[in-house]
Amino acid sequence: MALSDLRPAYVAGIGLHRYQFASETTYVELGLTAVRAALQDAGLPWPAVESAYVAKALLPMAPGRPMLRHLGATGIPIVHIEDASASGSAAFRHAVMEIAAGFAEIVLVVGVDKPMPVGRAEGLARIGGLADDAIAPFTHFALLADAYAARTGAAVEDIALVAVKNHRNGAANPFAQHQKERTLDEILNGNRVSGVFTSLQCTPVGEGAAAVIVASEEGLKRHGLGLDRAARVVASAGRSQRVYEDSTRYDAVLTEETASGAFREAGLDPADIDIVELHDAFTVEEVEYLEAMGFAPEGQAVPLLKEGAFDIGGRCAVSPSGGLIAMGHPIGPTGVGQIAEITRQLRGEAGTRQHVGARTGLAHMVGVGAVCYVHILAKAS
Amino acid sequence: MTAADSSLLKPALYREAGTEAAPDRPALLGAACACGYVFFPLQTYGCERCGSRDIQPRALSGSGRLLASARVHRHAGKTRQAPFTVVAVALDDGPIVRTLAVEDEAALAVGQRMRSLLAPVVDPDGAPCFDLRFAREA
Repeated sequence: MALSDLRPAYVAGIGLHRYQFASETTYVELGLTAVRAALQDAGLPWPAVESAYVAKALLPMAPGRPMLRHLGATGIPIVHIEDASASGSAAFRHAVMEIAAGFAEIVLVVGVDKPMPVGRAEGLARIGGLADDAIAPFTHFALLADAYAARTGAAVEDIALVAVKNHRNGAANPFAQHQKERTLDEILNGNRVSGVFTSLQCTPVGEGAAAVIVASEEGLKRHGLGLDRAARVVASAGRSQRVYEDSTRYDAVLTEETASGAFREAGLDPADIDIVELHDAFTVEEVEYLEAMGFAPEGQAVPLLKEGAFDIGGRCAVSPSGGLIAMGHPIGPTGVGQIAEITRQLRGEAGTRQHVGARTGLAHMVGVGAVCYVHILAKAS
Repeated sequence: MTAADSSLLKPALYREAGTEAAPDRPALLGAACACGYVFFPLQTYGCERCGSRDIQPRALSGSGRLLASARVHRHAGKTRQAPFTVVAVALDDGPIVRTLAVEDEAALAVGQRMRSLLAPVVDPDGAPCFDLRFAREA
């Protein structure tokens, strides 16, 4: 079964609360800001929404209805979805399925989170490693960066150029946590975290919210709306990690498998994609995943990056929002925020960070466990 | 004090004795499934490759090649003081393991041979013991 076998699902509205450092703002305020913005953007009233998906990874149990009831409690089904970093992407996927399969005409996806302590359940399995407590995410990716550099000959300074680009993009994004251009020097001379990473090469910890309205053409028509600002979801792929032939490359293989599935479903190739929003929590991930997905040949992402191929205005704009590095990664919202950015770009409404002529976009996220989601959107009209 | 006199920090994961192939390096306590998949550490929930519970313990040689290393400058946990170096080693017997490397002046190079050894540490109660770490092959 592919999305093309079912009726089309469209992203018809987008809204965000800026991603920011932890504050006194309640999750309810964060979430409602994004949802109201998305409804207004779509031109739809709240009672039109028939089902809601709430993506969150850090907030405790059941934040959804206590938040959404303030729009007027309409009795719709509300489900929470968690897939670690990929929570928002997973929620989006299931909203798309609900629309495509005809169970609803208008569905809300909202991602919301605030920083708070949370552990991974995996630790409870009591299959301890030699030094699990010594390997935080930034060290996991620092190891990846070391292997990447050895394999490709890329230098520390080269990989850090991802952060230069993404901070530049973030500076043009009013919803980004970091809105300041940074020079390569500033990035390389920042606080050392782990391996080659300095703090500006790593995603910040923060809070925020992002919402999208997913709808059928029929659902929009009933409200007197057309598809002129809609983005059609042409692929949705989800995979989880398995035992690979080459166990040293499990990060890349999971992404490669998922992206291949998405391209196959959409009938597209990487060369057809104008916008990419991917899981760049650490600079090396951008180059690693671009290669894994086929946007650059093996070992060639850095030379292409240096040429400006991945800049806004280049061959394919990668992380035009600023990515996880500059826009941020509040977790629940992140995958949803990627869909919002791609939709904004496809509409030609991205202002100073517009990638001119954008017609297709790809969103990629991974979550610990590990899982991976890839979505492809195309201009509807 | 030798390892024979003192305890191991994680005796479920490694032992002082080596394997036939590498007798002078502490072995890692892994497992092998009937399907051929070799993994670390030993667990009996089921094989990740095939789901079978026909799993046997297997001692893995403390020899392998360095896949990556990272110098950690920031660590939140109370159990360790940064800086320290983490290494990912592909054991000759198959599994990839990640743990600390012994402190070493020389830089580690991806691809180089690594060996296991027991390093003196203290356990959570402050008692001296030994933990398996990796070092460059001399």
